[in-house]
Amino acid sequence: MNLFPTTAAGKVRARRTHCSALLIAVTFSVAAAHAADNRKETKIEIAPGGNVTIVNNSGSVTLRSAPGHQVLAAYTTHSDKVEVDQNTNADKQRIELLTHALAGQKPTADEAKVDYEITVPPGVSVNVTTVSAPITIEGLSGDISLSSENGQVVVHNVAKSHVHVRSINAPVVLSNVTLAHVDVQSSAGPVHLTNVTGPRVTVGAANGNIDYHGDCGGGGDYIFSTHSGDIEMWLPAYASVDLSARSPKGAVENAFPLEEKHHQINPPVQGRSFSGTSNSGSSSVKLQSISGKIRVKKQ
Amino acid sequence: MNCQQFQEVLPYIIESGGKPEEEEHLKTCPACTALVDDLRYIAEQAKLLLPMHDPNARVWNNIEQSLQQEGLLPEGRMSRLGHITKTSTQTKSWTTLGWAMALTATIVFAVVLTNYKPQQLPSSQLSAQNTSEPSSMNGDDQQLVSQLAQADPDARGAYESSLREVNSYIADAQEAAHQDPDDTSAQQLLLNAYQQKEMLYQMAIARSLP
Repeated sequence: MNLFPTTAAGKVRARRTHCSALLIAVTFSVAAAHAADNRKETKIEIAPGGNVTIVNNSGSVTLRSAPGHQVLAAYTTHSDKVEVDQNTNADKQRIELLTHALAGQKPTADEAKVDYEITVPPGVSVNVTTVSAPITIEGLSGDISLSSENGQVVVHNVAKSHVHVRSINAPVVLSNVTLAHVDVQSSAGPVHLTNVTGPRVTVGAANGNIDYHGDCGGGGDYIFSTHSGDIEMWLPAYASVDLSARSPKGAVENAFPLEEKHHQINPPVQGRSFSGTSNSGSSSVKLQSISGKIRVKKQ
Repeated sequence: MNCQQFQEVLPYIIESGGKPEEEEHLKTCPACTALVDDLRYIAEQAKLLLPMHDPNARVWNNIEQSLQQEGLLPEGRMSRLGHITKTSTQTKSWTTLGWAMALTATIVFAVVLTNYKPQQLPSSQLSAQNTSEPSSMNGDDQQLVSQLAQADPDARGAYESSLREVNSYIADAQEAAHQDPDDTSAQQLLLNAYQQKEMLYQMAIARSLP
């Protein structure tokens, strides 16, 4: 390619190219400026152990942990038809961020979106409710309560907290959640757990599937229940579990070495139930379904 | 087909014998099978109460002749009647053998009615069978969905589908718990099924609020 055209036609082509590049740059600048206008940031003092509540139907919500005593909330609206109400009570124990349409406005699905990025101090509990907005939680240590109809719920790197998740069709993904009380209820959304441990881990689903990768450590109670959803559990050889699986109208498969128990209240039924222990059997694991398929495998 | 639907068409089944889907339900439902057996028995016994058909006149003639030959029927009475007419025959039958059979049938029918104990399933199981179809939603569910649809019509489908699924879950879990009341696993499944429904209600109510 000749960067320095000498002919008249070449100069015209070069000028057109420069004009196009300039137009694209201007377009991006205008879009960025518009986005910047719709992005707002706020810092709010919060008392230790306080609570942050966010209600945002569509868009996205991301929460991370950061040191300090302030909640840093940044949100970007996708239109002027919605706004975010910010409420703080006098003792700074509770902060609310609520998305709502302005009076008389009927925003479309895209216009109603608001993207939140929030950091909270350690120990602050959060309560997030969405319809289609995905929720991402990273590294929090307070209690977490999340509810979404269709937006994916992701919780990473959380320790020593209560994690409560409700979903209708939303996929739920929990990873590296340790020493936690976990309660997940999902109607049809799949639930994926990786390295999730704690004194009590319960997952219930109607027709959603559940899969678990981890060692069920901590000597806790692990109870996974479905109506017709499948349950799949991958355990490492060192897992210390007292495990029972049962699906009276479905099927069970075990490919993990379990030692049969001498005394069983409910004798196993071939293809429908099994139970046994591995190592010292320190954690209790109950996998139960009405008609789903249950598989236990070795990692 | 569930028990409620079956029992709605029960009179036609007794009369005509039923369709394949109804016969299929009978194969899987001992309660409805017992109910049909009982009703068929009652129907058979009740036939005895219907007016008797007149036998052929020759039958009565032969009976009269036999009775006269054995001296049990005065000849004068027979000659006074002449030949046996239909009306007089009917009257005669009800006054003798007919009354006896009708009385017997009445006693049998009364005994059947007195001893009839339909094998009604416990309410939980009956409810389970009635709601075992995924399409079932009770009145509260429908009201909830209607209110939700007023707030957001797009949300209706997801909640309807989930409510039907969870109702089916509850029905199946109830059945499992009923089969073995000491089964803790079945009880936990039932508990989870109700937790699922509670969750749906809480989320739908929150969504319906202005």
